[in-house]
Formats: sequence, structure tokens, C-alpha cells
Amino acid sequence: MLEELAKIREEALKRLESIETEAELTELNVNILGRNGALTGILRGMSKLSPDERAAMGKEANEVKQSLTAAFDEVKALLEAKAEEERIKAETIDVTLPGVIDVPAGKLSPLTLVYRQIRDALIGLGFTTYEGPEIELDDNNFTKLNLPLNHPSRDMQDTFYVDDKVLLRTHTSACEARALMTLEPPFRLVIPGRCFRVDEPDASHSPIFMQMEGLVVDRNLTFADLKGTIDTFVKAVFGESVKTRLRPSYFPFTEPSAEVDISCTICGGRGCSSCKGTGWMEIMGCGMTNPHEIENCGLDPREWKGMAFGVGVDRVACLKYGINDIRLLYEGDARFLRQL
Amino acid sequence: MKLPLKWLKDHVEYKVSHQEFANRMLLRGFEVAEIIPEMKATGVVVCTIDSIEQHPNAERLRVCSVDIGKRDANDQKLNITIVTNAQNVKEKDQVPVALDGAVLADGMVIHPTKMRGVESQGMFCGGAELGIGDAEYPGAGNDSVLILNERYENGDKIETALDLEDVIFDIELTPNRTDCQSILGLCREAASALGQKFIEPEIKHIEGIGDASEYAEVDVFNPQLCPRYLARVVTDLKVEPSPHWMQLRLKLAGLRPINNIVDITNFVLLEYGHPMHAFDLACITDGHIVVRNAGTGETVTTLDGKEREVTNDMLLIADPTKGVGIAGVMGGLNSEITENTKVTLFESAVFLPENIRHTTRKLRHSTDSSARFCKGVEPVNAEKAIERAIELVHELGAGKVVGGLIDTCEEKLEPRIVYADIAHVNAILNTELSGERMAELLESINIPVIVEGEKLKIEVPHFRTDIESGLETDQDIAEEVGRLYGYDNIAPTLMNGDTFQGKLGESFAREDEVKDLMAAMGFMELYNYNFTSPQEYDALLLPAGDEKRKTVRLRNPFGEDQSLMRTTLIGGMLRTLRLNANRKSGHGRFFELGNVHFNNNAELPEERRMLSIVCTGANESFYTLKGVIEQLFSVLGAKKLRFERGGGEYLHPGQKAHILLEGERVGELGGVHPKVLKSFELSAAAYIAEIDFFKLLSHLEAVRKFKPLPKFPLVPRDLAIIVDESTEAQDITDAIAGAKTAAIVENVRVFDVFRPSVPGEKGIPGGKKSMAFRFELRSDDHTLNDEEINRTVNQILKALKFKLDAELRS
Repeated sequence: MLEELAKIREEALKRLESIETEAELTELNVNILGRNGALTGILRGMSKLSPDERAAMGKEANEVKQSLTAAFDEVKALLEAKAEEERIKAETIDVTLPGVIDVPAGKLSPLTLVYRQIRDALIGLGFTTYEGPEIELDDNNFTKLNLPLNHPSRDMQDTFYVDDKVLLRTHTSACEARALMTLEPPFRLVIPGRCFRVDEPDASHSPIFMQMEGLVVDRNLTFADLKGTIDTFVKAVFGESVKTRLRPSYFPFTEPSAEVDISCTICGGRGCSSCKGTGWMEIMGCGMTNPHEIENCGLDPREWKGMAFGVGVDRVACLKYGINDIRLLYEGDARFLRQL
Repeated sequence: MKLPLKWLKDHVEYKVSHQEFANRMLLRGFEVAEIIPEMKATGVVVCTIDSIEQHPNAERLRVCSVDIGKRDANDQKLNITIVTNAQNVKEKDQVPVALDGAVLADGMVIHPTKMRGVESQGMFCGGAELGIGDAEYPGAGNDSVLILNERYENGDKIETALDLEDVIFDIELTPNRTDCQSILGLCREAASALGQKFIEPEIKHIEGIGDASEYAEVDVFNPQLCPRYLARVVTDLKVEPSPHWMQLRLKLAGLRPINNIVDITNFVLLEYGHPMHAFDLACITDGHIVVRNAGTGETVTTLDGKEREVTNDMLLIADPTKGVGIAGVMGGLNSEITENTKVTLFESAVFLPENIRHTTRKLRHSTDSSARFCKGVEPVNAEKAIERAIELVHELGAGKVVGGLIDTCEEKLEPRIVYADIAHVNAILNTELSGERMAELLESINIPVIVEGEKLKIEVPHFRTDIESGLETDQDIAEEVGRLYGYDNIAPTLMNGDTFQGKLGESFAREDEVKDLMAAMGFMELYNYNFTSPQEYDALLLPAGDEKRKTVRLRNPFGEDQSLMRTTLIGGMLRTLRLNANRKSGHGRFFELGNVHFNNNAELPEERRMLSIVCTGANESFYTLKGVIEQLFSVLGAKKLRFERGGGEYLHPGQKAHILLEGERVGELGGVHPKVLKSFELSAAAYIAEIDFFKLLSHLEAVRKFKPLPKFPLVPRDLAIIVDESTEAQDITDAIAGAKTAAIVENVRVFDVFRPSVPGEKGIPGGKKSMAFRFELRSDDHTLNDEEINRTVNQILKALKFKLDAELRS
């Protein structure tokens, strides 16, 4: 029987050498170690042997079984590794082929992005959102803001009219009158919205534009507060390194009034073609609310002070993203929107 | 307003760079828009022509040896060669020569050039090449090489030699500073900016001989429109060109010299900012000036030769028989100063700005004079202007001044006194300036101030009409003090006082949410124009009387095609779709959240905010758009969303639906009607929705509450039923929702519809179809057993049979 065992082992190891597939390996395994396998048969025949013989035989048979099992496992591992390698090879692809997407990404307009930045910076300073109608009373757009019917500043604004008393608002300042007349001071408002002026569209003009008004009404406001507020939100929108400069100007609804310049976002203030070599770019107007406006709107100008500023969202978007034609913002060309 | 540096230097010491000056002015509220050199050409020097020879190869050319002041080590001349075709130059003449690299007034750059075989190392220049005329240098107006009539150093820059190396500042004025529409006004600000005190030049009163009333009388019929009319008379007029200094200043400030009399009025216009006029008194009947409203059908031929119809809301300067000028706008041709004028009447008047503005608009004609009247002039300056004009007449020897000033203003013009509160001014600016310091700052721009305790007593100069007496005084003074002290010197602070909690309003937050969701679902955001054309509503097939035709019309649109305010976003969406298709932008999903306006005959039009969503492309269908809306509404927490067949005429009749929340129509969606696609030149099918944003907001769950997740397993089931052709998916969902069932039934969704191609196919009779749907069964408190499941399925089938006459498909 020992010879038989040795023969089984020898033949099995020999067969193993030529095995190429897992199926062949399984078959060989079954033929030798399976329920009806050769080795199993020998083990089964051992019951006829004497106890001594049985012990010696058993020891030998177990050794053969273990060594064959180990050999089979080794070959199995080799075969599996080979199969995996082939699979990976078969599944190898050109990773530079374009990706697949069900629906291409959507985009928010740069106007929305800039509006949110300015708005959120102001909310951080205690401002609350507010809005008013796009088609307004002349009274709210001009008269209440200290621009009576024949005020020379009305020449500055070329206005779309609906009739004698109704117009397309030329600035979000029109909402100031509504806020002053209806809200209980003190308050801090940020007022976004579309505005309209009779400007034929070209690279730097649009008859429709987005503006945001900041309006604060409180008991003790100073011009220094106006400077601080503007400086804070300019930094939030354009970055910490941007400098702000206020210089005297004139608006009928504020006094003192100022234009706000920021250090050029293109050259950082050294002077370039975008800032005409001055190092500064004009971004908005601001000032302390004219006491006439406060009085016109039914508040006591001795008790309540105001400060206001109006920023062009379009202009800021153009500066921030380097857009050279304002019309792109209103055209809806996906190739433009995709970039920003 | 142009401020020539030469004119500034007449009044102010100027020792800073132009850039520094511009910057100081800017920080005081006067932006220098441009710094214009007096001489536009550069690189041109003075030379002497030492010798002239005929060009060997060209009859019309001559070759000159020219001394440009260069010498070698042995002090020998290093002349250059200039080839010229100028015939007016001769040896020993001094002329301007443009050297290599010179830039002429028209931008042309000069380089050495071979002319018929001889190299010319530059070019002789005339006034045109230098950009100057007779006013800048006598003779420069001729169309030939400028022969200099004084001796200059060879090699000197021409602008230095001719004293034209100054600049002109083009200064932008804010409309409140009418006083700075004048050289003297700007000099006052400039002096302060340069740390000097401006001393206003004194006008020498010329007494004259006789009395003006012997020559002229003035009657103002409408003193409201003409509060002051001043006149003086000059006889023995000598009309001739004005002197060089005056011509030069006019020219630098942008006006063309004409003759001494007109130039005097223009000079005063610039210097004092007050418009004047001179009449030929011989042409004024009886020497009688009448200021009155124009009569019906009257016309006036103005100095520019145009006959203009005037109306009775316009003010005329007339004599008893005819109009001789349109007040504040332009004089009449019939009384113009000519070479033969012997006696003139100078007018200096104040007209109401509103009226002049109205007249210029109506006539569509504005002049330097009318521009100033529109912004506002004042009566004290009017008197200064006429006195200055008479002084100049005297100085120039232009005629004999007649005594007496005709003045229609009887009111005594006293300076206004206002009081400003020192503490309040400091409070506005957040400064701690003493009254004395404020007074010092204000005095620097000639505003006299006395500190009286806690107040500044201010004598408002006549020219500062912008400083108010009353409510605004402290602010006006704060603005002056602030800008003179320097806005830069006020340190920024953050607001104190009550603490504020900033807040993003509910609708603003929802806008953010909607926009972010739309972008996440692949839609690009649009900001379309609000303007639209009447034709667009026809293109959208809207019937007469449709609400969307209740449009707001603009009175002054760019054109008929942009004359209406939109009542729907649809037109703009489709136009943008076409633009993207034409440009092959590769994107077909867009949305806009914007306002529309309806004319409802109220004080203001009704404003609604609409959300429009559009999609086009190979993978898009009614159902992809519907899916987007369902997803959007689900995330927003919209309550009881349903769709019902129907919608606007611009939608495909077979593919359109109302969108309902809690039974209210909040919008509609559908395929775009084929006719509309054609009108908007869209070749591919498109699907569009429009939703009323604020209606949508009114149906959102305000607070979301967590519901415990189901503890017991779901049992999914599919059923197919045979129903009438007219049955829709909603009918099945509704029938099941209305059925009483043993188990909870959820998420009913039709997933397949089969219509037999011939009656009886797959056991489905004609006029019927098969609809397959999936649903889920569960219980809140136990795992369902087979009996409960079967009972629920049977209850569903029974309900479908009862409501829809549906049969289970075997």
C-alpha cells in the first residue's frame, strides 16, 4: 500500500505540472482527494490493516494528503493570479478618452455670484435684505430723494418713462424712500435690483443693469462709519489687499457725498491701461443721507441720520472677472456662462 | 470745463507737477479727466536755414543745410540736411523742424527719408503740423511752413520757444458747483489745493460819459423768468481782432476768436462763467429792449443763420417790432455785431434755469450760454460780468463807454448769513476740529467765517448758491470742511449703536435655493432684457384679451421692438435658445428668475416674479422637464403637487399641463407649439415652463419635520391593467389613493403603457390599452403576511374596476 501511496503522490505532482486551468485543477483534486478519489480509497482500505500497520500507514497517508493539498493550493493561487492578470489586461482602457456625463453642469450668472458676495458681506455687518418695484413712481425715484422736478441732476439721468408720474427706476435708491416711509428705524438694509437708463447698449453701457443699495438709518452715524462699512465690504468682495479711497462728489440725496475708488484690481495700484495709469478704479457712489430726503419721507432729520451707497453689480462683475463687454452679462451665451 | 494752465498762472502760483495738481484737485472733488498739452506735436525744434540749394533730381524740391544748434569739439556747426518742397522759406529764416522720432499733431511719426536720392533728416513744420493757429502764434494759421518772426535759440524745443509748453486741464464738474463753470471759480479751488489764498481780481469800474438811458431802455415783462437784466452801452465801436493774449486764452479754453466785441463777451463767459450778449443797437428799434414771452407763430433767425419757431412758453429778447434773440440760448442774426457796428448794447441777464432748459429741449439746440443758464447763474455775478466786459472794452480801446448801468432788479442783493453748529459738523464727520480750524479751512476757498461760541457764522459768498440756509446747512458745511480737511484724514470706524442681526429674507433665501437647485440640475442662469416687442405676443399665439397682453408701454423706448415691458419670460427664453443654437454653444438647459409687469390701471403696474425653465436637445422631452420640476418642488418642500392637462396657447396642444400646488395653479409647462418654434426660428423641439415664484413660495412647507423611517419591510408589487384609451396615469394614482386598503400603499408609479397595434393584440381589445404600474405595500406595526398582501391587491383592483372599469391583464 505504501507503494501505491507513493505512486499516487508522484502521479499527482506530475499531473499538476501540466495543469493550465482551474477546471483541470478541480478535476484532479476530485480524482485524488475527493470522496471517490484515489487517496480517499486508500484511507478507506486501511480498516483492514493491523493497528500497527494502520498507524504507520495513517501517518504516511496524512503526509501525502497534506503535501498534495499544499501543492494544489499553490497551483490554485498561481492560476488565480494569472486569471486576474488576464482580466486586468482585457479591461485596460484608454484613460484619455473623454468622460461621459448625463447632463452638463449648469451655472449661475456672474451677476448672481457677485450679488451674493456683496450681500453676504453686508449681512455680516448687520444688514437685512429689502427690495422694491422696478417700475416706480417718479416721486420715489427723484422727488423724495431731493431731486425736485427741475433739479439739474435730472439731466444726469436719462430715464425711461411710462407716463408723467411713472418710470423705470434709474437706481435702487428709489427703494430708500419706501424703506424710510414704511420701516421703523433704526435699520440697515441691502437692496438689490434691476435698474434702467436710456443708454444704447455698447461694451460699457447697458440700458438694464443690476445695482445694490446699502442704506443705514440710525441715531449716531458718521462719515467715518460710512468709510469703515465700505472698506469692509470692498475687502470681502475684492480681497484683503484691496485699498479703498473716498473722494468728494455730489449726489442730491447725500451730503457729504463721495465716489469710491478701489486700488486697481488688474495692476494692484501701480497703474495700467485698465485704470488709465491712475492705479484706482471707480466703483460706486456713497454719502450721508441728505436731511431733506429723511424729512421728505416723514422722519425727523434731527433725530435720524442716514448713510447710503449704491454699487453697480455689473461693474463689479466686469472688474472681478475681467469681462470686457457688459452685454455678455445679458446675452445668455452658454460659452460665456460656462467660463465663470 | 477747460482750465488752461496759462490762465491759472495769471492768478495762482503754480509749482507742482501736473499729476500732483490733478491728484490734489481730485481729492477736493474736481476730477481732471484729461491733461492736454498746448502743443500737441513733440520732438520739434527751432532751426536756422543756413543755405538752400536746388535738389539735383527734382525741380520742386530744395535741399537745405540747417543749423539745429549742434557743434562739434572745435565749435564747428554740425548742420543737418532737410529736403523741402516749401516755397516760402529763404536763407537765414528760422523755422520749426521735426527731427527723427518727432510726433506731429495728427500722430504722424517723422523718420529720415530719402527724397529722390537725397536724405532728409527731418521735416519743416507749419501750424497744422504743430497743431496751432494764429491765436497761439501769429502766422501759424497759414497753410505753409511757419517762419518765426522773432529770434530764438537754435535747437530749442519749439514749445519752449513759442511759450506753448503749458497744458490745459479738462476738469469734470459736479452739477452743484455752478460757480466753477468759470476760470475764476476753478482758480479759487486750485489756489486752495495749492495752499494759497485766492485773491479775486478787482474790476475797475469805468464811469463813462453821458448816460445809457439816452441810448436805450429795457423792459422785462416777465420778471419771474428774468429776475435781473443789466445793460451798458458803448459807442464809437472799433470792431477788430482782439489782442494776442485774449485770443490765446480763448483758444486754449476751446473757443474760437472772432472779433474784439464777441471775444470780450466770450472771455467774460469763461472768466466769470456768466453768459453775455452784445447787440448792434442801431438794429434795435427805438433802442428799446423788451423781455417777453414769444407770441404765437413767431420765428427768430439766430446767429447761426437758422430760422427757429418759438412758442409762447419761451422767453424772447425783443424790440417793439421784432424778436432779436432767444433768451439764454442765442442772439438774433438781425442785431449781430458786424464790422460796421457803431453802438452796442451789452446784455448781462439772469434767466430762470427751468425755462431755459425747457427751451433748449424744445428747440433741440444748446449753446455754451444755454448750458450755463440751465445749470443756474446768479445776479451778483451778472453785474460783475458786465462790469468786467466794460473794463475790457476800455482796456482794449474798443469804443467809448457810456455812463450808467441799466438794471431791472430793484431788490438789494445782500450776502446771506448762515449758522453752522460746530459740534454737529464734527458729529457728521467724526472729527474733533475746532471752530477756528473749520473757519480756516472755509476761508481758504473765500468763505468768510466768524466763530461765535458753538456756531460758525458764515457769510455765504454770492457764488456759492449751493450752500443752503436751513435744514441742510450743517451738512453743506460738513461737506466743505470734510473735503478741505481731506476725506483721507478721516479714519474709518465701524458703526456702533444698537446691535443688529443681519438677515437674509425668506424670499431671498428661497431664490438662492431655487437657483442653486436649477444649476445643480444642469441649467444655466439668464438675465434677459425686460423689453419686448408687440409682435412677440403674436409670435407666442396669445389671443386678444389674454392677460399677457396687458403690457406696460414705454413712452421713450429705443424703438417699437423694445417698447413693451415683458409680461412673460417665455419670449426672452426662446430668443436666448435661438442665440445658443445659432452659435452652437452646446448647451440646451436655461432658466431665469425675473420680474414681469402687468398694466392693471393702478398707480403702479402689477409686478410678478416668474421662474422660467427651458430645455432642448436630443435627450429632452416633456417628461425630462416635468422631472426637473418634480425634483425642484420636492426639494423645496412644495405641498400637493399635481399636473392637469392644459396651458397657454404658445404650448403644444397635446403636451401641456398646468402645475398645481394644493389645488392652486402656480404655473404651466409643455412642449413649445410648432408654430411658435417656427416664429422663433428654432429647428429642434423645446420644452418650457413658467412658474409664479411668489405663488410657489406660498405652498412650501415652512418647517420640515422628521418622520421615523419604516421599521417593517416594504413589499413591492407590479400590476398591469387594461383600461380605456382615455385613462391617464393620474387617474390610476387617484383611484388607488381613494381606495380603502388593508396595508399602506405608497409610491404608485406607472412605468409602462402598451397600446395594441391591431385590436385584440396580446388580448387587448380595440379602444383599450394596458398600463403597468408599481407600488409599495407596508405596515407601520408589523411585517405584512401573504393574506394581507393579497387582500390589499384585491382592494386596489376592485377600486380600479369601480373607478376606471379596469381589468387585470392576465
